[in-house]
Amino acid sequence: MADFQSSTQRKNWIFSSDQLLEKRTAANQRAVLTLQKYGATRLEVDLDGSVKYPFPLLDSMENGERHSLPKHLNCSEEQLMRVFYEHKIQEVCLAFRFPHKIQGSAILYFKRFYLQWSVMEHHPKHIMLTCIYASCKVEENHVSAEELGKGIQQDHQVILNNEMLVLQSMKFDLIVYAPYRSIEGFVDDMEDSFQVGNDQLHKFQELKEMAKLEVDKSMLTDAPLLFPPGQLTLAALRRSNDAHGGVIDFQRYLEIILSREQSPHTISELIVSLNAIDALVSKLKIPSMKEMRHIDRKLTNCSDPSSHDESKKREKRSKHKSKKTHGKSTK
Amino acid sequence: MGDRSAAGGGSNRPAWLQQYDLLGKIGEGTYGLVFLARSKLQSNLDKSIAIKKFKQSKDGDGVSPTAIREIMLLREISNENVVKLVNVHINHADMSLYLAFDYAEHDLYEVIRHHRERVNQSINQYTVKSLLWQLLNGLNYLHSNWIIHRDLKPSNILVMGDGDEQGVVKIADFGLARVYQAPLKPLSENGVVVTIWYRAPELLLGAKHYTSAVDMWAVGCIFAELLTLRPLFQGIEVKANPNPFQLDQLDKIFKVLGHPTQEKWPTLVHLPHWQSDQQHIQGHKYDSPGLHSYVNLPPKSVGYSLLSKMLEYDPRKRITASQALEHEYFRTDPLPGRNSLVSCQPGEKTVNYPARPVDVTTDFEGTTNVQPHPMSSGHAMANNASAASLVSTRPVARSQLPLVGMPRLPNLHGGISGYNIPPHGPGMAGLNPTNIPIQRGGGQAHSQQQLRRKDSGSGIQNSGYTLQQKSRRF
Repeated sequence: MADFQSSTQRKNWIFSSDQLLEKRTAANQRAVLTLQKYGATRLEVDLDGSVKYPFPLLDSMENGERHSLPKHLNCSEEQLMRVFYEHKIQEVCLAFRFPHKIQGSAILYFKRFYLQWSVMEHHPKHIMLTCIYASCKVEENHVSAEELGKGIQQDHQVILNNEMLVLQSMKFDLIVYAPYRSIEGFVDDMEDSFQVGNDQLHKFQELKEMAKLEVDKSMLTDAPLLFPPGQLTLAALRRSNDAHGGVIDFQRYLEIILSREQSPHTISELIVSLNAIDALVSKLKIPSMKEMRHIDRKLTNCSDPSSHDESKKREKRSKHKSKKTHGKSTK
Repeated sequence: MGDRSAAGGGSNRPAWLQQYDLLGKIGEGTYGLVFLARSKLQSNLDKSIAIKKFKQSKDGDGVSPTAIREIMLLREISNENVVKLVNVHINHADMSLYLAFDYAEHDLYEVIRHHRERVNQSINQYTVKSLLWQLLNGLNYLHSNWIIHRDLKPSNILVMGDGDEQGVVKIADFGLARVYQAPLKPLSENGVVVTIWYRAPELLLGAKHYTSAVDMWAVGCIFAELLTLRPLFQGIEVKANPNPFQLDQLDKIFKVLGHPTQEKWPTLVHLPHWQSDQQHIQGHKYDSPGLHSYVNLPPKSVGYSLLSKMLEYDPRKRITASQALEHEYFRTDPLPGRNSLVSCQPGEKTVNYPARPVDVTTDFEGTTNVQPHPMSSGHAMANNASAASLVSTRPVARSQLPLVGMPRLPNLHGGISGYNIPPHGPGMAGLNPTNIPIQRGGGQAHSQQQLRRKDSGSGIQNSGYTLQQKSRRF
């Protein structure tokens, strides 16, 4: 829809950084409590989106099998894990040659999901795939779960298992404004506003291409949950403009659009936002596989200490749905 | 979370069902079923709710894309003349989705039929004009939000019954609606077949992309049907896959409007079917346009002027919803009003439209019981024979898998207008964010039940909440 102002994204999914912190801390603490109570954090998800807690720890405690609880992830480890998988979403979408919009929506779905859940409760690898799958459905680029799973050698059943849960967790707010589309619009507008001659057009093309990469980076930060997409685009264009040695006078361009929109906000307010987005991008660090290994081991230990029983249960659960993949699950 | 009731005995009904008194089935289509229920929640006590149940997708590919699309669009939009989604429920037992809407007692299909078969009199001018104005008002809202409905027809245009919204039009059924930021592919490419009687000529001639003008054509057809009580272009549908050429439908249009010409419609020659089927389409020549005599309007009247602008062949010249709302027709007496069914002018006779028939033999899972449920209220039983004969002919809406990105239209969407202090949205409610809260306060007390009466001849097909096209021969 053309109107971000009346969108569910603006109404329900733009937060302050304090709110983000609060939600993530709450999810983390809930998972920690689950760990203490049940000895595992992983929640089982049924096809219908309902969630079940692991078996209570009591039995095994009484049997004296377990003396100490596995270590849980802290909030910053969860953050790293999310960034890692958000980056993975970009890689998968690139491999499938999906349009930018799909990638953008999938990342936002993923971010929204983990405002309510801890990575210890639902493994981000599964949620990542389901978010891509849902985004394809929504953006009319339908890819079957099987095809998606096959493309990246993953059991497609986990995609379907989590679909309802993901949709529910987003309250079915599925229309997402990603900052990609407006790059074109702004650059066209710049060309008009500064009456660019044909000999200059290639510079704007370069500006545009780099801005896309800059938006890619900001999608991995908290910025999409804090700022409207138009500002993410402008911040990306400004960084791209700076890197190209100032194709246009950006400050002047901001003045032009503000005066045109008769915005109640001042240029300094806008610049504060763009600076905040830049700061988030410059702090962005995509963890390497090596860094991830440590966190991932920790995650496996606390989420799924008895992975042996788990896989048995999973097999039983998916029996009625996936006849084809039965027995060759890659899990 | 984990609120799944104990399985076994086959009666693991979802907990949210307790919010409702189920009265029965009121509609059916390929997407699933529509039920009438009454809210038991204190905040909405006795409010009538229509609950649309989507079947889970058959091909083992997760949640129905039609359901997802309808929900996500309805979540974003809010307008007095668009149906209001009040809740989304999930039946954990079969993974189906249930959409709860404010219930509308009437729809244009039934209103028109009532006049044709019972009243034997045309719909009064005030009602026609009010219905049309509100339909255009809702459509203008959708189009200005870049949504094309794509399946407008009388049974999808609902009208509220008794209560504080009496006579208010609600556009329903967004299962085929699309946001058109990017060009839209024809529905036929997705294997979807929709009613052809309201289909715009450019689509019949094979136009590759939808524009909002297709909805305006449908409005023109509906306007004419409100005037004459008969579908304007009642072509015989060619049933074949994929995307058969609907020659008879075009022929019906040409007979009334005359043959389209390149002078009137310059891009006509580029349309695939126009080019490829010269013998059939270009061969026929109808030169006496008789629209005004067909709809019984003087050619100089404002009503005719508006109608002919809606039924303009060239989609680029066709009147838009916002232009139509400004048309002289709506500024001349009788002026349109909010309650389309009851004129505030003295002397106008008020027609009592029948209540929607309710089939009480089908339960929420969609299973037909041989014995009817004990009813909690004095509901009339619907005609069982017709309920049993409900057979849908429309293939399930499903999209295919073009992996190629569609070209984008550049715009500044979500642009600087989004520059704002981030609003501090309400937090997610607990761990179970499924239940989208019912937003509207103050449930109006519906007293429809007293009005409900047996409508023995009607059965329940096409009861407004359906998508199917039953044969309607008059």
